[in-house]
Amino acid sequence: MLSVSCANEDSSLDIKGMFSPQGETINTRFAESMEYNDSVGEMHLDMQSDDYVVYVCTDSHITRKEHKNLDYFVQQYKNAPMPKLAIHLGDLIDAQKNFPCVDSILHYPGQSRLDTIFTTPGNHDIYFKQWSIYRSFFKTSAYWFDTHNGSKKLDLYICLDTAEGNLGTKQTKWLKDLLEAKSKEGYRRIILFTHTHLWKLDGSQGHTSNYALEETYELTSILGKYGVEYVWCGHQHARQSVIFKGVNYLVLDATKDAENGQAYMTVEMGESAVYHYHNYPKN
Amino acid sequence: MAGNPGFGPRCYQLSVMGEYSYNTTWGHHGNFDIQSLMPFNPHFEMEAKIQLSTANVYSGAIQFRPKFEVPVGEMFIETDVYYRAVARNRVSDFTAAIGVGYRMDYVSVTLGMFSRVVGDWDRSWYSKETYVAEPFNLLYRLEVFCRPQANPWNLSFMFSNVDDYQMERMWQPLFSIGAYYDVAEHWRLNFWAQCKPTGMFHLDATFYGATFRTGFTYKF
Repeated sequence: MLSVSCANEDSSLDIKGMFSPQGETINTRFAESMEYNDSVGEMHLDMQSDDYVVYVCTDSHITRKEHKNLDYFVQQYKNAPMPKLAIHLGDLIDAQKNFPCVDSILHYPGQSRLDTIFTTPGNHDIYFKQWSIYRSFFKTSAYWFDTHNGSKKLDLYICLDTAEGNLGTKQTKWLKDLLEAKSKEGYRRIILFTHTHLWKLDGSQGHTSNYALEETYELTSILGKYGVEYVWCGHQHARQSVIFKGVNYLVLDATKDAENGQAYMTVEMGESAVYHYHNYPKN
Repeated sequence: MAGNPGFGPRCYQLSVMGEYSYNTTWGHHGNFDIQSLMPFNPHFEMEAKIQLSTANVYSGAIQFRPKFEVPVGEMFIETDVYYRAVARNRVSDFTAAIGVGYRMDYVSVTLGMFSRVVGDWDRSWYSKETYVAEPFNLLYRLEVFCRPQANPWNLSFMFSNVDDYQMERMWQPLFSIGAYYDVAEHWRLNFWAQCKPTGMFHLDATFYGATFRTGFTYKF
């Protein structure tokens, strides 16, 4: 993995990043995301039903030639009946210059605000100083939105930017303040989604790094305290389920082509949240 | 280690040290450390360590170290048990490690594995949700010294994922600089500093935290 050169155009790894940040760090990305969020206002999705389906995938790592699984995921989502929403948990691209390609897949003709595909950046998405490019397509990396049925509040979704395995001071404070306020508003459930997973259960996670231990303790404590029901993550390319402090941490399989065990997840959101994994067709 | 001029006599030691530490999660905090080294005989030593932190975190470590001389340097078995009570988050972190080490005058290398159990103080012990186990992690430590280990002063550089009170995940390395100076026959002055980046193996490393430690060791 680490043998790939970082100097070539379209390379997939930025080895220099092992030693120092090559682009904007989390506090900068967070500040720019908040600036965008403030400019567009809050996002409330009226699902016109208590029940809806969430399509979730992660780690598509697309190149200009390899994006069959992501195409399939978007097609399945596009053809699903309303109400619905979709989330991509990061590592959209595998190498430089592929944001136009992923953007054209995720933002299909006829798409409306109610079938938006929400995204969060992964580490591959911000290599090579790509934050500005990511931002030009997806605008923000830390945000929240909620779902309603008319005036009835349903579910709160919070997206965190963990593309560099670190929440940063400003985003941590924002998360605490947001949960402190929103946990009192009577949401049916609170769901957090981000790229980097919190637990490292076994060797299936191979090379993937996660948070410092201090941040793992702190984040799991915050999420447990405010009654977050689910945390959806990617990054490790292998599914995993852990319950800790009452929070269900789900890690998804990858959507990357040519990788074993690829799958995406659907979650039937109602009085309870029921999730299913769906394998991609064999490539 | 009588008979091995590289290591000099190993004796009972008691250390008292203070630390200033900062990380982006806990902010600025101070730590108070007490450490003891107990070389019961030439083939077995034990270390016991306690750390109290103003971040409301309390750590302890016990290390058992069987060792034997080889023609150059010595080999040892590293057997460590660490416990960290993270009272601020109401969780505990228990780790147990075993490794093999080789120490020469200028280099010390340890390689092993450890298991971790993170426990929740607020859940019933009869519930499976009480803890999360991370059964396999790689332990590694490479330390390079500027002087032979029996020297009255020394300076070392260490690359590892473990230190005196924490065992980080294998992809979360720690970079440390250590130094000591024997100011008198029984007294040693210690310095130690550590930098902890995050995201190195996200290939997007950023500064996460640093610790600076100083204190005295009394050699009996």
